[in-house]
Amino acid sequence: MASVISANNLTLAYEGGKSIVINNINFTIEQGEFVFITGPSGSGKSTLLKSMYGQIKPYDGTLHIGGLNMSSIKKGQLLQLRRNIGVIFQDYKLINEWSVEKNVVLPLIITGYSLDVQKVQAEKLLSHVRLSEYANKYPLELSGGEQQRVGVARALSKNPFLILADEPTGNLDEFSSGVVWDLLENACDQLNATVVVVTHKIPTIFNIPYRHFIIENGGVHEVH
Amino acid sequence: MKSIKEHMMFILPLMAMLIGVEFILIFNRVTTSYEQKLKNEYAILVVSKKQLSTPIARGVSSKIDSVEAMNREDIAKEVTSGMQDTAMVAIMKDLPYFYRIHLNRYLSLEELKDIQAKLKGIDGVLNVEIFGENYHSKHTMFRLVKLILNIFIIMLFVVSIFLVVKQMEVWQLAHKDRMKIMEIFGAPMMLRSGILFKIAFIDAIIATLLNIGIFVYLNISWAKSSDINFIKENQGALINVSDFILMLFTAIVIVSVSVFIVAVQSSEVPEG
Repeated sequence: MASVISANNLTLAYEGGKSIVINNINFTIEQGEFVFITGPSGSGKSTLLKSMYGQIKPYDGTLHIGGLNMSSIKKGQLLQLRRNIGVIFQDYKLINEWSVEKNVVLPLIITGYSLDVQKVQAEKLLSHVRLSEYANKYPLELSGGEQQRVGVARALSKNPFLILADEPTGNLDEFSSGVVWDLLENACDQLNATVVVVTHKIPTIFNIPYRHFIIENGGVHEVH
Repeated sequence: MKSIKEHMMFILPLMAMLIGVEFILIFNRVTTSYEQKLKNEYAILVVSKKQLSTPIARGVSSKIDSVEAMNREDIAKEVTSGMQDTAMVAIMKDLPYFYRIHLNRYLSLEELKDIQAKLKGIDGVLNVEIFGENYHSKHTMFRLVKLILNIFIIMLFVVSIFLVVKQMEVWQLAHKDRMKIMEIFGAPMMLRSGILFKIAFIDAIIATLLNIGIFVYLNISWAKSSDINFIKENQGALINVSDFILMLFTAIVIVSVSVFIVAVQSSEVPEG
């Protein structure tokens, strides 16, 4: 299996190295794996996830995503990489001035797909997340759970090789959380996408194999 | 209502800057026209024992356009007015030659004094009068007005730029979230800032059209009915079709630079 994410002696820090969050960690994640990252608040889980989509550069060591070195990646390469990564946020980060349908196909708009393709893909994805009737509504007209399903649909819209989710069920009730976990399971199982989820709590019912990393005191260890 | 206010907050300073640009253009044209008028009406007076020709005068300075001989008989008649005819013959015998020397462009007082000295060096020249003070005082006054106006326009420009930047910051805040989300999904800068460019270009066109309207009105209506001779004489200098293109170009450059700054500042992608 090809390594999708590879960290070697990776250190992540803020303020030019004054505040080290992740210190000298090593791990690899292969294509099609589902990975949970847990740890106490402020342990650096979200920082690690941000480094995976290039929001933060490694302070030391190396981090490779899809074969690209995130320390030396050029701006254009990073934007290109991001077009093939789906990101899901706890606060959804939907564009409130855009319809649900347009939000879902944002990655297709960015890549320059035709309106016809966008339309077909939006219908398919909204049906998949059971929000077909909300296509022309705006995010603020939806509940939190519905907004997060739109967020998941957006992350899946371009069949990304990597899906990164930061506390995707943090603001959701049990039912909505279950729907989101089902969608992420399917993405990993059926689309062979690598899924990395930062969360406080791993769901009690989870139907596919997964790996579990715990981040504590700047280090990472895997629970077997 | 809020949207109109936001547009006006951008259009008004942009209009102020464009008015500044147009004033500079108009004043440059008026200055050139005024200097041309001064040059045409002006001549150096030369009194000489010997005849003076244009090639001889040009030999001392290339800034001399032509030499015009004044009618000696007319001068003698004026001098001998009320005297006997014999007086006229005697005066004509000793009367020197008088010339008006025309220049090919407007010159400074220092340049005039230099030409005066060179003309005095020509064999037979008795006197050279440049009427320097009279010639120069009008122009100095005119230049002073131009300088004050230019300072005012620069200040207007600086204040307007601050207002445009302030409005850009408002836009940046309003569109920051959307631009940030688009960037996370890999949108290039032009796509992220597309809406800002669209708004800014529309505002640039509106500001240019409003300015064109103002200056066309000034030219067609106000200048004609104005009692100021100088404005009436220079009405052609008030507006020019090329100004419209230059104003639009200036407006587009200003908004493009402003939007580009906003887009770059909004970017959170670390430089590679």
